[in-house]
Amino acid sequence: MFGYLIRIALLSLRRNPVLSSLLIAAIALGVAVSTAFVTVYYIYSGDPIPSKSDRLYYVQMDNWNPDRPYSRNRPEIPPEQITYRDMRGIMASEIPTYQSGMFVASLTIHPPKAEQRPSRERVRMCFADFFPMFEVPFAYGGGWDRGSDRNLEPVVVLDAITNDRLFGGGNSVGKSLRIEDRQFTVTGVLAPWRPSPRFYDTHTGASQVPEGIYMPLEFVREFEVETAGNLLIWSDYDENAGFEAFLGSEAIWIQMWVQLDTSEQRQAYSDFLDAYVLEQKKLGRFGRPLNNRLLDVMGWLKDQEVVPEEATGLLVLSLLFLLVCAVNLIGILLGKFLSRAPEVGVRRALGASRASVFLQHIVECEVVGIIGGLFGLGLSALFLRLINRLLDNSGQFGLDLPMVAAGIGLALIAGLVAGLYPAWRICRLAPAVHLKLQ
Amino acid sequence: MIEMEDIRKIYRTQHVETHALTNFTITIDSGEFVSVMGPSGSGKTTLLNIAGLLDTFERGRYVLDGEDVSRLSDREMSAIRNQKIGFIFQSFNLIPDLNVFDNVDVPLRYRGLGGVERRAAIDKALEVVGLSARTKHYPAQLSGGQQQRVAVARALVGNPSLILADEPTGNLDSAMANDVMDLLETINDMETTIVMVTHEPELAARAQRRLHLLDGRLIDLEADERPTPLVAQPDGSSSARV
Repeated sequence: MFGYLIRIALLSLRRNPVLSSLLIAAIALGVAVSTAFVTVYYIYSGDPIPSKSDRLYYVQMDNWNPDRPYSRNRPEIPPEQITYRDMRGIMASEIPTYQSGMFVASLTIHPPKAEQRPSRERVRMCFADFFPMFEVPFAYGGGWDRGSDRNLEPVVVLDAITNDRLFGGGNSVGKSLRIEDRQFTVTGVLAPWRPSPRFYDTHTGASQVPEGIYMPLEFVREFEVETAGNLLIWSDYDENAGFEAFLGSEAIWIQMWVQLDTSEQRQAYSDFLDAYVLEQKKLGRFGRPLNNRLLDVMGWLKDQEVVPEEATGLLVLSLLFLLVCAVNLIGILLGKFLSRAPEVGVRRALGASRASVFLQHIVECEVVGIIGGLFGLGLSALFLRLINRLLDNSGQFGLDLPMVAAGIGLALIAGLVAGLYPAWRICRLAPAVHLKLQ
Repeated sequence: MIEMEDIRKIYRTQHVETHALTNFTITIDSGEFVSVMGPSGSGKTTLLNIAGLLDTFERGRYVLDGEDVSRLSDREMSAIRNQKIGFIFQSFNLIPDLNVFDNVDVPLRYRGLGGVERRAAIDKALEVVGLSARTKHYPAQLSGGQQQRVAVARALVGNPSLILADEPTGNLDSAMANDVMDLLETINDMETTIVMVTHEPELAARAQRRLHLLDGRLIDLEADERPTPLVAQPDGSSSARV
């Protein structure tokens, strides 16, 4: 019966192409706008690593100024990053399954092709555990091992785009790449990887794409490189004292992630952090009350308010826009359906119940909804490209399968909202009145 | 087939109350061909609408094919219309977007029959009305007479026991009208009860019984010259219609 109703609906749409186009266009526009902003919200609010988001923890310790809290608005929270020396201190723990301090640096890359000029690139400086901890997929090779961190081996991992650009793609494992004034050996090339939001470093933008190059963090000493992200310091610091003094300062610029697979592991690591800070207090550091924090991925994203208020506001507005589009169609559909009252009278005489007539017209509205939804999804993809370009050209916002399903769902809801009243009205008409009119 | 007892139907507007049928009582036996005549506004179409369960009434009792249908739900009335009643209208009332085959298919769609069953029934109905070669034609491509024959096929396709025809020849010339009447007589010969509203006395005269309505009342009952059909009795005997 559904096939028959869909066929009738398509015939009805074909009967008045202009009116049908108007109906479809209204739904398409509403679906395009709402799906685009639902996608933005979905990307911002989604779980970027669902397989282990409850086992990955962001580490915070309060080494801020003893005289005032890190945040005036939220005095209870510790700073969002830690110092290099504390990162080194807690990396000594063997409790976490994986752990990595990290920051983003800007380094000079010398392409192997002579015709390509050196360029400054954003490089994620991290430890070997970064890759298995964040389940980073590899197309070729893999990450470096912990021994490479210990021995400061010049190894590097590239993402697919950087590999294409520098080496023309393919398996570049074992190839050499000059970074600053040192040759690095490629140990792995990433498969496409786009955690959304980019949870592991919200300071440089949760909507950013991951960096294209990864190398051992400890090269920070050799290159004497500072972070290209946020760096905050509350204590007096002599900038002329040299890089080692900087590394030993209270400047916070390192992000620290650990993987703790069990509650026992979590408790043990929490105790370890407390012990570490208490020990540091004895050395005259950490003048504020003990305030360590371990937030899992979703807790961290919530704390960081990764979903901007604007995204929530735009989501609500776009859904209201779709509602307005649908409500505006009620009058048009009512007129369209009532003009067919004699035909409905005939169908009623031939055995169609009110429910059948109602269903027939709801199906017609849903066919309009689905056609409008498909056009709307196309438009939505264009909107999202525009949003990507306006924000950072990162290509972060795109329609995946759940969002396509959401778009179709919104189209069906819009069709239902638009069609309920007209379908109800037409099915309530007395058939006898209209039979004579045809 | 039809037993109406003391039926009253009133149309009300804000200021006017129109008595379409007043204390209307009638019995029409199975297999009868009855014509209904009367001036405009006499209640002919109201009678047909009530008989066809397309309209309700204020008072009285209506038994159709042995079943009291006075107060049924919409779904029950729709099912009875679909299975027991065929309609033929003055202006054919074909659905313009559907071809001949699909127009005849409409009542079967609401019966939930399978494709093979529907096709066989449609082919048979179109054969009866002589339009087997026009299945792909749309109403606009057919003459008035052909359109009415499609409408007859549509009324016939569900094998109803009652056909209600509201001025079925009103929009046809005399030759086409005769064709349609011949068709109705053929259908009646298959033991299908037919109630036909008409303004034309010569067509009404072809029915076995003529009813005359005036101001919602039955004013005259007369049998024509054709033999009265016998009605089977439970004990196996037959008796004439009263």
